[in-house]
Amino acid sequence: MMERTTQKAGFLTAAAFGVLLGAGFGSMVASAQDVPEGFKKGDLAPPPSAEMIEAGKRVYFTKCVWCHGVDGAGEGPGADRLWPRPRNFNQGTFKIRHTASGELPLFDAKKPTEGQNDLFETVTHGLPGSAMPPWEGILTEEQRLQVLSFVTTELVKDRQFTDKETETQTVLKLGELQPKQATEESIKRGSELVVEKKCVECHGMEGRGDGNAFNLKDDWGFSIQPADWHKCWNFRGSRQDPYNVRNIFRTFSTGINGTPMPSFADNTSVDERWDIANFVNSLCERDALGNPLPIDPLTDKPKINFVIPSDPVEGEIPTDLENEAWQKAPKRYVAMGGQITHKPRNFVNRIDDIWVRSLYNDQHIVYLVEWDDRTKSVAEGKLPWAPTEVNIDVKEQDPKTGEEGSIAAHQNNYTVYNDAIAIQTAVKWKELPAPIKPRYLFGTNEQFPVDIVKWEADGSLHAFLGTGWDQDFQQRYDYEENMKLLKAEWKNGRWYVMIQRPVGNKEDQDYDEDTFFEVGQYIPTVFFAWDGHNGDAGRKMAVSAFYYTFMNPPIPQETYIYPVVIAVGVVLLEGWVLTRRANKKKGKTL
Amino acid sequence: MKALMSLGALIGVAGLLLLGGMTFDIVPSTTIRLVEGYMPMQLLFEVGCYVMGFAGLSYILNAMGIGIPRFWQGIGFWAFFLLYLKYRVYPPIPFSVRAMYGTVSLVAVFMWVSANEEDWNKFKQPIMNVLDAQTGMNKLLRYAYLVILPILIGGFSYNAMMPKSEEPIELRTVHPAPPASTKVHGKTYTLQTSQNPYRVNPEGKYDQEYTNANIVEQGMGRLMKPNANPWDENSQGYLKYVREGGEIFFQNCHFCHGDNLNGRGLHAFAFNPIPANFTDPGTIAQLQETFIFWRVSKGGIGLPNEGFPWASVMPPWEQHLTVDEIWKVILFEYWHTGYYPRTWD
Repeated sequence: MMERTTQKAGFLTAAAFGVLLGAGFGSMVASAQDVPEGFKKGDLAPPPSAEMIEAGKRVYFTKCVWCHGVDGAGEGPGADRLWPRPRNFNQGTFKIRHTASGELPLFDAKKPTEGQNDLFETVTHGLPGSAMPPWEGILTEEQRLQVLSFVTTELVKDRQFTDKETETQTVLKLGELQPKQATEESIKRGSELVVEKKCVECHGMEGRGDGNAFNLKDDWGFSIQPADWHKCWNFRGSRQDPYNVRNIFRTFSTGINGTPMPSFADNTSVDERWDIANFVNSLCERDALGNPLPIDPLTDKPKINFVIPSDPVEGEIPTDLENEAWQKAPKRYVAMGGQITHKPRNFVNRIDDIWVRSLYNDQHIVYLVEWDDRTKSVAEGKLPWAPTEVNIDVKEQDPKTGEEGSIAAHQNNYTVYNDAIAIQTAVKWKELPAPIKPRYLFGTNEQFPVDIVKWEADGSLHAFLGTGWDQDFQQRYDYEENMKLLKAEWKNGRWYVMIQRPVGNKEDQDYDEDTFFEVGQYIPTVFFAWDGHNGDAGRKMAVSAFYYTFMNPPIPQETYIYPVVIAVGVVLLEGWVLTRRANKKKGKTL
Repeated sequence: MKALMSLGALIGVAGLLLLGGMTFDIVPSTTIRLVEGYMPMQLLFEVGCYVMGFAGLSYILNAMGIGIPRFWQGIGFWAFFLLYLKYRVYPPIPFSVRAMYGTVSLVAVFMWVSANEEDWNKFKQPIMNVLDAQTGMNKLLRYAYLVILPILIGGFSYNAMMPKSEEPIELRTVHPAPPASTKVHGKTYTLQTSQNPYRVNPEGKYDQEYTNANIVEQGMGRLMKPNANPWDENSQGYLKYVREGGEIFFQNCHFCHGDNLNGRGLHAFAFNPIPANFTDPGTIAQLQETFIFWRVSKGGIGLPNEGFPWASVMPPWEQHLTVDEIWKVILFEYWHTGYYPRTWD
């Protein structure tokens, strides 16, 4: 280790000399003193061997070409239905690096060392929140290095990884820096710094990415959006370790090439950067005790619990989020995917999760749904379809490469519809023997329909009956009278919607149309969400899997009695065993 | 003998340290990955290593005069095995299955400790000692058990009786029985006799042998054969259609089934059950191309009644793709995974 450091120091002096010489030509290379705090000068890696490049081509044309394209210009067949789009390698613009803003990333075909090989780590861990998967476990280490050898030499066309004349490496010394303790003081300072450094202009007042969501473009003119700090598992540079503050520190120090995210290395000290990183990290969703959420290693998203428990309350259900009952109610992460089963399909759903809590009393059950949406969307004027209409003709977009109308190019030009949320529960779920549920999308048929409660951002709250994916809804006016919208508020990039509905009884409700909620039973529940700025309407929406609403029963008395009875029984049993043993021994000795 | 046992002990201790490290996140929990498809063999091999390690350890400890009594060896190994199943295997296996394995291993441990009369006596000696309570220590132990056991059992039963909202277990029919024929875009296809029209050699003749020779290679990475690049401009027949199928796959299917056809696509995390993993030898490798054609065309909504729980978002692709496109996608899926479709003969 010592040897390595001295060697590095040697390189550093050599580099400094080179710089002094270079300064004579009036070159643009920064002098050693100009290296921002926390960085040091690095060396360009040697070029990969011809065999590595040739072998990498085979990997590329098996695995990568489908999105990144034959020329590496990010125009493969999959590109146009992806958002964010696959990377265009030609300009040598790479997002996640240890090098200064604008520089090429670290890559050495012979050295797959953590923290010293940016491209290798990107391929290994993928880019969460995009379609780039982690390739570890699919490609061997050797294969990953091979394909990168091919990409960096043959597909990066405008720059040369080995050209000492034009390329420099100013490397963040992340391995040598110690993170600052995430104390309250540090987090508070960070929260002030993000305002001072204008982070909030794009990332929003609460960091939900709602600041300047609709005017940002990348180097190629495609729309992109600022990161939502509350979903750290979607950070591109999270390296499958989302709650690690080092990743945030690195992104903040080096910027993200090709995007409006700059490097803050020049105008913040290392100390300040740790404060900001600690603050951003503190915003990421955590459990009730403040611990990081458990992350599923197969999906790199929070682990999912498919049961949404509803706690009982006495009397009125509170509408205030700060109320103790809501604070105590378990909060469930509900993952959302695009609806791509029937047309119009939603390939780029912008709502990828919602958070659900629930409470009930003897009359009503209330769902509190919260989700991040960068834009509050309310349709202007009257929509050209009735609320019950299902087969709405909204554009799914022509996916042809290079054409104007492709989804990624046209993110901003949708007509704005209403943001909306819907809760779909099974009607007559007791008659469906477990595990059979109604058909997923809008119910099976007239015999096994679903009960849909839908709220829209124009303030409407409707109850529908769904009898099939292509059947228009039937409005349940009688039921709507019994429902109540307790809250619907959009604040700093997040919707808070609270919907109250009857638990159901034979006198006021129709058993064939409405879901009856029973305590202690698993009631199949699905959530749908629409983002009006994404052109979501009708079936173009985000969908969850089947979850279960479970109304927690009050604890029965037997729970306290039986364990005591059992414990007493065990004492008696012990006595019996001991006596028997003692008698047997006595018998033997006698 | 001694060298052999030492080696065993060494392997065992190294393995245990690694396992402990991974469980408690001291070393990255991905240090040794369980690879899909090889997992059962991997687990058997690992457990074999540990048995070897324990045998070696116990031999060495005995030789050093600090041997562990047979009683604790038996209990220790059983506890180790239960913990191994719970914390090592991912995705986690349900408790009912763990309980089954636990019972089987308990029986195995009993057979081991009661292999002969002498061993059995040795095994039960500690129990008898506590019951007889001849020494002060044993007396203390006896009273401790007398108090702790009822409390523990009462506590467990209290825990078990507390109402809980655990996810109900769902069974699923993986491959429902296919119909005799299926009608797609107005044409009826008999599943027994239909063929993939794109499984052809460069001359355009149906050629199973030629196409099977040009699929990707099995083994890590599943890379294409060196001289069979579908993106080669000169490629004709099979490989050309593979490329066209791939283009359709990456515009429609990868969102769920993933860039590597392993069921880990962009939207996959939101769905339950997760999308089919084509690289698993239990999916398309087990089926005929016509079965896939039927499933792809009709989707989740076309599942027969026994195909519950119907919680599938698989689109009926006849709504989005032409018959030709469906056949090409199927061709691509077999190419990319390196599996041969099952045939009727």
